[in-house]
Amino acid sequence: MIHIFCALPCEAQPLIQHFKLPDLKEFDLFRIYQSKDKEISLTITGIGKLNMAAAVSYQHACLNTAASDIWLNIGVAGHANIPLGEVRLVNKITDNHDNTTWYPQIIFNSPCKSTHLITLDKPSTDYQDSLYDMESSAFYQIAIRLGSAELIHCLKIISDNTEQDTATVNADKVKKMISAQVQIIEKLIDRLKPLSTEIYSITAEPEHYQHLIEKLHFTQSESLQLSRLLRQWSLRLPDEDVMQLIADNKSGKAVLKTLRDTINNSEFAIHD
Amino acid sequence: MISTIYIEEEIANHPRTLAILKRFPDATKISCQRYGEVFNSKSQNFRLQKKQAALILARKHKGLVLPSPKEYAIGAELNYYFSHMLNCLYDCRYCFLQGKFQSAHYVLFVNYEDFIEEMQLLLNQHDEEAVHFFSGYDCDSLALDPVTDFTSEFLPFLESNPRALLELRTKSTQIRSLLKREPIKNCVIAFSFTPDKIARTLEHKVPDINKRLQALLDLQEAGWQIGLRFDPLIYTKDYAKEYSELFNEIFSKINPELTHSISLGGFRLPKDYFRKLEKLYPDEKLFASPQAEEKNNIGYPAEIRHEMLDFCENIITQHIPAEKFFPCHETI
Repeated sequence: MIHIFCALPCEAQPLIQHFKLPDLKEFDLFRIYQSKDKEISLTITGIGKLNMAAAVSYQHACLNTAASDIWLNIGVAGHANIPLGEVRLVNKITDNHDNTTWYPQIIFNSPCKSTHLITLDKPSTDYQDSLYDMESSAFYQIAIRLGSAELIHCLKIISDNTEQDTATVNADKVKKMISAQVQIIEKLIDRLKPLSTEIYSITAEPEHYQHLIEKLHFTQSESLQLSRLLRQWSLRLPDEDVMQLIADNKSGKAVLKTLRDTINNSEFAIHD
Repeated sequence: MISTIYIEEEIANHPRTLAILKRFPDATKISCQRYGEVFNSKSQNFRLQKKQAALILARKHKGLVLPSPKEYAIGAELNYYFSHMLNCLYDCRYCFLQGKFQSAHYVLFVNYEDFIEEMQLLLNQHDEEAVHFFSGYDCDSLALDPVTDFTSEFLPFLESNPRALLELRTKSTQIRSLLKREPIKNCVIAFSFTPDKIARTLEHKVPDINKRLQALLDLQEAGWQIGLRFDPLIYTKDYAKEYSELFNEIFSKINPELTHSISLGGFRLPKDYFRKLEKLYPDEKLFASPQAEEKNNIGYPAEIRHEMLDFCENIITQHIPAEKFFPCHETI
């Protein structure tokens, strides 16, 4: 799943339209939108770190998020000299309040240039050679507790700079700027999806695990052993029907013993 | 190859930093205070990062040269290791670095002068005794040599300190800088091998056996001392046949006179590392190998371990004298 967070409705609207995201009426603390196939969600957070942190936590509580999910903060930001409308992925986030720093891991070919971002508590026109916004540090700080650094990113479109400061920014301009970069956003998602799929594949439980856990009693430690043994089974005895072998086992302990004994007595070749 | 470089502010102007940055003009440069901010941060995935690892240029402040375990000695009483680099270009599935580190990025400590100073201090402390230094515990000693200039910086120190011996452990064929200079007697280039089919299965992005063997032979021909490292020994049902073929191939070609040492040891990992690797690579058959747990390590059951070590030892000692053979008989 892909979770997008925008501070402002005007940042969100082009994405809601592009990805065809209906409003989820049941959640009223923050406005959450989600595609019918539940693959993409978007939350409008409001301005500032507190709103962003609350919205990421709320969205996580409302939707069923997973370790393999993609988390994106998309919005506008200021910069001293990058031309308006250009887009940047963020490779370093510094919270101006306490100088805490995070490093989103760009381990794919980025669809655009990347740069440093500073999150401020208040708007500023004291532009420097970094992006400025008011939410990214809070977004990252919470999202990193829920996902992996390779899948959590901030994408910013330049809305103001030393030549045209924040006074010139309005909702219509922001909508147009975001709309103009939808292809880059699509590309970013396309590059993140295979990474997300890979994490999903390694975190998924092995075949039959859920069925056996529901059917028989396993302690916490035995559940881990079951997961490990089922994986070993699928690697060492891929053509054997494990369920047939343990059909007569009446307890979790008996299942573990049968699996362990059969695996230990099988031949092991590391390659074909 | 390297598209992102993190640079510690403290060494941003170090001559080695500047030289390396010059080699990668198109890489994205990101400054950081301490490399641990990037490298040690939790919630990152080693397996994913391996796809496009970044380079981190840093300064090593303490613990530059550390005592190494006696089981890994190759003939001296005093043994130390140092890591000018953390992590490796290659992607060997059995490698303990995947369990040891949070990140797959390559950390390069550019303050070689501090490593060398510490090595010199150790030599001074142990007057008249041979001291062995090992450089390939946390990285491949040579794989990034064209970028790091590691050998050209460290070998002059060896040249002027004949009591010291340096082991460069590698699976690399990056030997140009060695071939360009006169061989040094107190430097051993130790190549790691597993049989071809096992290497193809488990050693990703690594030069194949023939290329490694050719690099080894080129070095011997130029007069360098080489080492052979069959560690880890990997179990498979036909291990005897596969290891016999590997030994035949190697021993029929190498010069025993210029073979400094041979060591071997079974596949084993600290339990925490093993469990982390198992989670990172659940579909990897290596982690479904016959296994036993002893003293917080996971490795092959004693029966398999002893059988493999004895088998390999028998063949190896037919080719080299016992004093050059250093089997690692850890429990696991």
